[in-house]
Amino acid sequence: MICSENQFVMDFINYSMNKNLPITANMIMADVIHLDYSLIPIVGRFDIDFGFGNKTVREVCEQKDINIWFFLEILNSYHNHDYFPKKQLQNFSVGLITRYLSNTHKFYLEHKVPEIDLLIDNLIEQAAYENRSNLQLLKTFFIEYVGELKSHLNFENNKVFPYVERLGIAVDTGKVSEKLYRSIRDNSIEKYEQDHDDLEEKLFDMKNLILKYMPPVINKNLCQNLLFELFNLENDLVDHTRIENKVLIPKVKLLEQKILETRENY
Amino acid sequence: MKTINSNIQVVIAAKQFLFRFGTKTFINFIGVDPDIIEVDSINDLDSIINAKYESNYLIFSDDVLPSDHESFFKEFKKNNPLCKTLLIGDSSLNGAACSQYIVNNEVHTNMIEKFQTFFFEPFVEDESNNSDEEVLSEREVDILKSVALGLSNKEIADKHCISIHTVITHRKNVTEKLGIKTISGLTVYALMNKYVNAEEVTR
Repeated sequence: MICSENQFVMDFINYSMNKNLPITANMIMADVIHLDYSLIPIVGRFDIDFGFGNKTVREVCEQKDINIWFFLEILNSYHNHDYFPKKQLQNFSVGLITRYLSNTHKFYLEHKVPEIDLLIDNLIEQAAYENRSNLQLLKTFFIEYVGELKSHLNFENNKVFPYVERLGIAVDTGKVSEKLYRSIRDNSIEKYEQDHDDLEEKLFDMKNLILKYMPPVINKNLCQNLLFELFNLENDLVDHTRIENKVLIPKVKLLEQKILETRENY
Repeated sequence: MKTINSNIQVVIAAKQFLFRFGTKTFINFIGVDPDIIEVDSINDLDSIINAKYESNYLIFSDDVLPSDHESFFKEFKKNNPLCKTLLIGDSSLNGAACSQYIVNNEVHTNMIEKFQTFFFEPFVEDESNNSDEEVLSEREVDILKSVALGLSNKEIADKHCISIHTVITHRKNVTEKLGIKTISGLTVYALMNKYVNAEEVTR
């Protein structure tokens, strides 16, 4: 066959990529954290408690009933920004992805945002009187940002993820409703892809407003913590978006294509 | 210590003779050899400070400073933009809008250093507290204000009698200089720096 050479090259690349994956199933879980401690909150999102002794990644996943391939995909995607999952996409259901992503959304809205909110409130409380109004501006700006973040995440939770899950079920059961078919044609995942990047700008501005134009504060530690948390949040969001773009969307496009093909073969 | 050429004039303004004499001596001590004029008040300063000289310096004691020193400095700077000013006074005046400030009871090593800085460092024209004002040009500030007030690109173009293309270019420059991308971010910046008032900003 004409394509066999290309296929061989792709398989070879996949094979060597897998060989070079830093995080593998047989690694000791604790060593994974030692390798990259920024993975701590990621591990937490899978509901994995610390205190896992010398268990391997595989053992921890088995114990917690977590899909080991998916877990490794996520870890490696966060650990290595150039990592591009390909073949492995076939190995897990799309429901796994959406569940992980909505857990992450919960983490942002129920933990990270309130933390940052509290830091800003404390800053304002402890600031000198004449600087309060400027700090209040920052707070208002942050509230606006949170509003936009919330509506974006809720859109994903309430519209995008259910759509994606319906696709998964349709492919598994072989039953495609007319409604779903129309949805694929009219509002496919491509539209969602385009809206993704606007949130980053506001957060970027927030960081710069503090970094460059901050009114003087009395409590420098608070200010440092705030800045740090903002940078962390931004990095996390960037990685999160990357997962959505590189894991979710390609998978969904595959599903959409599959459904359209079977439909056409009727 | 190097001496600098005497195409410089230093005006010493202080009520007390001993202050003026001490300052005169100190200037020579650090190796500056200018023409010196002593006055005991701030009247007629503008006429004394002479454009004929390459550089003009004013050293004054807080005992000649009027109570409304902010407007004095404003006026002085307007009339003598190239004259460097050094104020020697007590600590409560720190932050006055002169080029340099020395506290009365400064130790002598610091005193030497500050005088040297005053004479030998190149003159930066606008040494006001708002260094942000140097960052953006006047035009860019105008555009920033309009953006903060919620005007569209077209409205800004019409208001300032420029093309939309020019508006966009200004906005790009402002974003690049400040590092702020969103309209609300720019609005916060404008509010923080008092370019617009909270009431003017439409929400």
